[in-house]
Amino acid sequence: MKKFLALILAAVMLLSLVPAMADSPVEITMLLEGNNVTDDAAVLEKLNAYLTEKIGVTLKPTWGTWGNFDQLAQDAVNTGSDEYDILFTCSWTANEYASYAKKGAYVRLDDPADNLLADYGAELKTVLPELLFEGAMTEGPDGEKGIYAVPGFKDFATMNTWDINVTLLEKYGYTLDDVKNAGFYGWGDIFAKVKAGEEADGKVFYPFIFEGAVAERFVDGTPIVTGDANSLLSYYMNTEDVSVPGAYGNVIFNKYATPEFEKFARQMREYYLAGYIDPAIAIGETATDAWRNAQNTANYLISSEVSLYGYEYTTSEARGIQVAYLMTTDAPYIDNTSVQGAMMAISANSAHPVEAMKFLNLLNTDPYVMTLLNYGVEGIHYTLNAEGEVEFNADARATYSPWTNGLGNVTLLPPQKGQGADFQKRFAEFYAGSKKLPIYGFTFDSKPVETEIAAVTNIKEAYALSLFTGAVDVDTALPELLSKLENAGMQKIVDEANRQLKAFLGE
Amino acid sequence: MTVIPKKSIPFRLNMVSRRTEALFHLILGLFALACIIPFIFVIIISFSSEDSIRQIGYSFVPNAWSLAAYNQVFNLGDALWRSYFNSFLITIVGTLASVTMCVLYAYPLYRKDYKYRGFFSFLSFFTMIFGGGLIPTYIVCKNLLGMSNNYAALIVPMLVSPFNIIIMRTFFQTSVPFDLIEAATIDGSGEYTTLTRIILPIVKPGIATVALLTALAYWNEWFLCLLYVTKRELYPLQYLLMEMQRNAEFLARNSSMIGASGASAIQALPSQTMRMAVVVFIVLPIACAYPFFQRYVVAGLTIGSVKG
Amino acid sequence: MTVKGNVSRPGIQLRSRSGSKTFWLTTMMLPATVWLLLIRYLPMFGIVMSFLDYKLPTRKVPFPMNLLQSPWVGLKNFQFLFTGESLTMIRNTIGYNALWIVLGLLISVTFAIMMSELSRKFLAKTYQTMMFFPYFLSWVVVSYFLFAFLDPTNGMIVRAQKAASATAVDWYNTPGYWPYILTICSIWKNTGYSTVLYLSAITGIDRSQYEAAAVDGATKWQQTLHVTLPHLKPMIIILLIMNVGKIFNADFGLFWSVPMNSAPLYPVTQVVDTYVYRAYTSTGNVGMSTAAGFLQNLVGFICIMAANGIVRKLDADSSLF
Repeated sequence: MKKFLALILAAVMLLSLVPAMADSPVEITMLLEGNNVTDDAAVLEKLNAYLTEKIGVTLKPTWGTWGNFDQLAQDAVNTGSDEYDILFTCSWTANEYASYAKKGAYVRLDDPADNLLADYGAELKTVLPELLFEGAMTEGPDGEKGIYAVPGFKDFATMNTWDINVTLLEKYGYTLDDVKNAGFYGWGDIFAKVKAGEEADGKVFYPFIFEGAVAERFVDGTPIVTGDANSLLSYYMNTEDVSVPGAYGNVIFNKYATPEFEKFARQMREYYLAGYIDPAIAIGETATDAWRNAQNTANYLISSEVSLYGYEYTTSEARGIQVAYLMTTDAPYIDNTSVQGAMMAISANSAHPVEAMKFLNLLNTDPYVMTLLNYGVEGIHYTLNAEGEVEFNADARATYSPWTNGLGNVTLLPPQKGQGADFQKRFAEFYAGSKKLPIYGFTFDSKPVETEIAAVTNIKEAYALSLFTGAVDVDTALPELLSKLENAGMQKIVDEANRQLKAFLGE
Repeated sequence: MTVIPKKSIPFRLNMVSRRTEALFHLILGLFALACIIPFIFVIIISFSSEDSIRQIGYSFVPNAWSLAAYNQVFNLGDALWRSYFNSFLITIVGTLASVTMCVLYAYPLYRKDYKYRGFFSFLSFFTMIFGGGLIPTYIVCKNLLGMSNNYAALIVPMLVSPFNIIIMRTFFQTSVPFDLIEAATIDGSGEYTTLTRIILPIVKPGIATVALLTALAYWNEWFLCLLYVTKRELYPLQYLLMEMQRNAEFLARNSSMIGASGASAIQALPSQTMRMAVVVFIVLPIACAYPFFQRYVVAGLTIGSVKG
Repeated sequence: MTVKGNVSRPGIQLRSRSGSKTFWLTTMMLPATVWLLLIRYLPMFGIVMSFLDYKLPTRKVPFPMNLLQSPWVGLKNFQFLFTGESLTMIRNTIGYNALWIVLGLLISVTFAIMMSELSRKFLAKTYQTMMFFPYFLSWVVVSYFLFAFLDPTNGMIVRAQKAASATAVDWYNTPGYWPYILTICSIWKNTGYSTVLYLSAITGIDRSQYEAAAVDGATKWQQTLHVTLPHLKPMIIILLIMNVGKIFNADFGLFWSVPMNSAPLYPVTQVVDTYVYRAYTSTGNVGMSTAAGFLQNLVGFICIMAANGIVRKLDADSSLF
């Protein structure tokens, strides 16, 4: 009898567990950026089986592309939609991290009242470097600083480099050191000699083809001031040692009003008039195509690149020449742009913030999930070779190409073919040597001067690219630009930025 | 009803002099040529090799010809045919529904004896000038009316065009004499019967015109897809093209922020030549459909049907 | 088909017939009316966003409650449209539109009349088909076409100029030429569309009217003046009024893509839509972009009402309403 009762009791206990186990997994939706994915069925099948077992969650990603992400993200945020639990965000998408965290679009992950990070994301703190969390601190709607998204662990320092076509350089008897020692203001002779030589057979050759929008930053050593989406402000780094303040100290300037800028613009104009610069990089719509084309066809001497570790191997092979990257600073520098380059935020309208946090925790710490989501299913999308490197199956990869940098913790991924088995280790070592800027962590809040910025942007747009590429006469254009900026309230913007910076540093 | 024979009339009855007509042909011909040439240019680019574009840019005479662009388009495989199907479905259903609603709305507006004519005129016209803006419309369509990731989202938001209603009303006004209505009413015909049996045949050019404009609008539309649809199976062809275009533009604008990892993304984008090939795919069907509409639109048969 | 009542008792039949007529005609209006109310009128509450500092909806304060919580800022969102620089964009927008309305009207009507007078109908149809092609090409594609001619390095015109005289015009940096270039592009793209409308209207004209005029001794030119144009009048006036209503709107693609977004050309290519776009992408302020749209609507409304009022005074039948 006792045995029989015990059996009944056990059965009842088991039965009471069944409803709990039969709880259907929670579906988490995610909006991602920069992908080219047309068939994710195989991946999701495996992934969801794993996720259900581990954390009771299934994932339904929306593979946003470069062209539609901004619209989808903005619409979701502005209409308070709960369509996406997790949103990609960063410093350059329409749902820009700092400003939308301030507007209350994202859940505060380290909210003292409901600390999702501590409760469900504890492993993140051990795996991701502390400086990433520092960079993710931003002001929320209540004015308190907090973490409003999980930062993506990728290359977290900025490498501003001159992309040098070493093969062509050496053809005319120069070395990389010659370029380095001459510096931007001394390249004239090298350009002249190479241009004359390459044009001997009649076709046109432009030795200096670069991305106009970054030229001034490279030459003057002015990083992007986070929050200044329109290149209005300059902060001068100490390019010999980026971790200490430069000659001006921690002050922000009107980018176009400084003597450095004028010097830069005049030199650029000289190069343009001498025919060293392709006019197409001065025209808004053709600028990037012209620049990338020149690089891809190795039809340049000096170009520009915001680079990353090991990139010269990829480009040298792809272009069929020897490419070298000359850094403009002594070390890669850590600023908000690079740290906030790829983040995952939980939408304030999400119905499942806890499950979302659990998923993000798993994504950024579990190599299996990371590899599955980024590279696909082993055997279908790729195979592992003897060194443990990933070799992609071209056809399958064409249907499944997510943008890896925007999808979590890339250091968990196996190396790709040619990178070498210890690639992740070298990667980590390289970036360990990068330095924080003195203004690291500062974000300019443009809301107090919104109207001025809207007006000033239109003015600046009319001159900036031309001045950056030397396409317009400096004596006429620069004074015009400066006076128009003055009249539109530029000084107010600069003053506000400096006020905020002082307050930030005073802490 | 007089019929003008197809061959030119032996003696020129009430026509412009041959010299004037030649001048007309010259002007119209040149302009028509100017309209076609850019499209021929598009076709040439689509058959140019990618290297030629990189070396000498867009040109009427590329360095080398290549079928690579079309190979790439056909490699899209099912996605291509699926979007063709979507484009056709949306255009045909949308045009039929829209033209019907347009004619039904415009007819009473034309009827001077309709009591609420002024009110409804203003009702539709006002929306031509004022709108709630993108976000409120988006919310109403998506959340309230459930138009998300379905064909309704690609058809319904464009169903009624006050512009077309006004055009249709104008056609009614200029082609249909009011005595016809009175005659029909006296004969005891109901409103719908009058409309379908008597009026519609007269305004065929008008209907064909509005149908043409509506069909073109649906065929070219891509923004609705961007807003409301993320399922690739529903993408119309015009959106596929726009997606390629927008991807390229975004990467171009933000390349320094995205850095080197974006460079490889640019490499993977469909080439300029492929985009031109897709343009050819998009224009061809509608260019072929155009003569079908034309039969009703261009002066060819005299219509004069009301005598006395 | 039932006959409602008989003719010998007009009073009652007319009332019941007019009642049922109104009823049946009103049923015809139903589908479109429902659509208009739901998809056009319902969202109009959003206009209020122009006057608010828009706060995002959240789980606790969903849409539309967040509108109530967004502070009222009056006309602040409109300020960025009236800075010193914006005068240029206002001048450009209205100037180009006014010019193109008149030019477009003249050209389209002329072409329509020309085509209707051709004896070879096949050619007329061919011209018309060809004229429609520009409508299919997006402005981006047109910009590539133009670039093939004006590219500073490889453009066909540039190369010809260099061959002839060693210096070529720096097209994408010289504003002076662009009003002409943009006008040509606009006419090129839109003529086919308007010509179709006018041609269809001409189709509906009874041929016997021409014959009667010819018999009276009228020349072709006089026939055009006295038969064709009067019949086209309603269509011309309607289109004119509607175009006037869009006088503060601009075709974004034309002013952005065709000049290749080249900065030195802004003084002649900046229009309200590009201005708002550039401002919006820098601030992300929903209230500002809504305010701009609202202002465009308001200006259009005033212009249409004025134009319609003038027309009504002159010829009540031709007015919009």
